[in-house]
This record gives sequence, structure tokens and C-alpha cells, in this order.
Amino acid sequence: MRNVVVDVLLAAGVTAELLCCVGVAVMRTAFDRLHYSAAGTTVGPFCILAALLLREGFGQVGLSGIAVVALLFLTGPLVVHATARAARR
Amino acid sequence: MNAFEIAALALVTGFVPLLWVGLREREIDGVVALELAGAVTALILVCLAEGYHRGIYMGVAVVCAAVSWISGLVFARFLGRL
Repeated sequence: MRNVVVDVLLAAGVTAELLCCVGVAVMRTAFDRLHYSAAGTTVGPFCILAALLLREGFGQVGLSGIAVVALLFLTGPLVVHATARAARR
Repeated sequence: MNAFEIAALALVTGFVPLLWVGLREREIDGVVALELAGAVTALILVCLAEGYHRGIYMGVAVVCAAVSWISGLVFARFLGRL
């Protein structure tokens, strides 16, 4: 049962990331593209992290995964904001 | 192949539209694509580390996430001054 949940979470995370990649390619302006770039640092990583934690628990691998996703989640908005300011000029 | 290896392989396909944007659109659009490519790369490294059962490889993913943030800021700053 746990393997099924891990697979579903992985599939959801990968699908979210791929949708964000396609969204960046489909949108017309840099501001529209930034919406998908920001979503790529929130939705997909948390689904993949949940799958990782379900499989490994809070050991060394789990804590490293938390560090990766926390970095992406916390620094993503900063980069998006800086890019939006650069695009406005 | 286990589920995490398949997930890493599927995530690699996400580079195709990002590469297309980087090559065909304006510079600022390429920076947006580069930022998302950094996040996708970090997730690929997480999936590979788990798929190969090598916990030590997770350090590479942590460094990749940090470096992609710095590169995004540097490129945004550089383009903002042009």
C-alpha cells in the first residue's frame, strides 16, 4: 500500500513539473512564464519530497531531501521577484 | 528500473521545452527557463540519489539547488543592468 502511495506522489510531482515546463514554453510574455517557473519550485518538489519521506523516513536521505525542497521553496520567490524587476526595465 | 529512476528519466524530458525557450525567445525568457531548469535538475538529482540508494549523492542535489538560486539572481541582475 505504501509503495502505491509513493508511486502516486511521484507521478503527481513529475506531472506538475512537466506541466510547468510546458507552461513556460507556451506562454507569451516573461511575466506569464514566471507564474509557471514559480509553480515549479512549490508543487512538484513537495510531492516528490512526500514520496521520498514516505519511503526513507526522516533519516539522512530524508533530511537532505527536506533541505533541497526548502532551498527551492524559500529561494524561488526571491529569484522570481528579481527576474520580474529585470523584465520590467 | 525503480520508480525514482523512472521519475528522473521523465523529468529529463522537461528540459526540451525549456531549451526551446532558451534558444528561440528573448534573453529574459531564457533566464526564466534557466531558473526552472535549475529546480528540475535538483529534483532529478534527488530522484537519482534515491533510485540508486546512494544517500551521499543527496549532497549534490543540495548544492545544485543553492547554485541555481545564485545563478538566477546573477543573471537577473545582469539583465536588469542592460
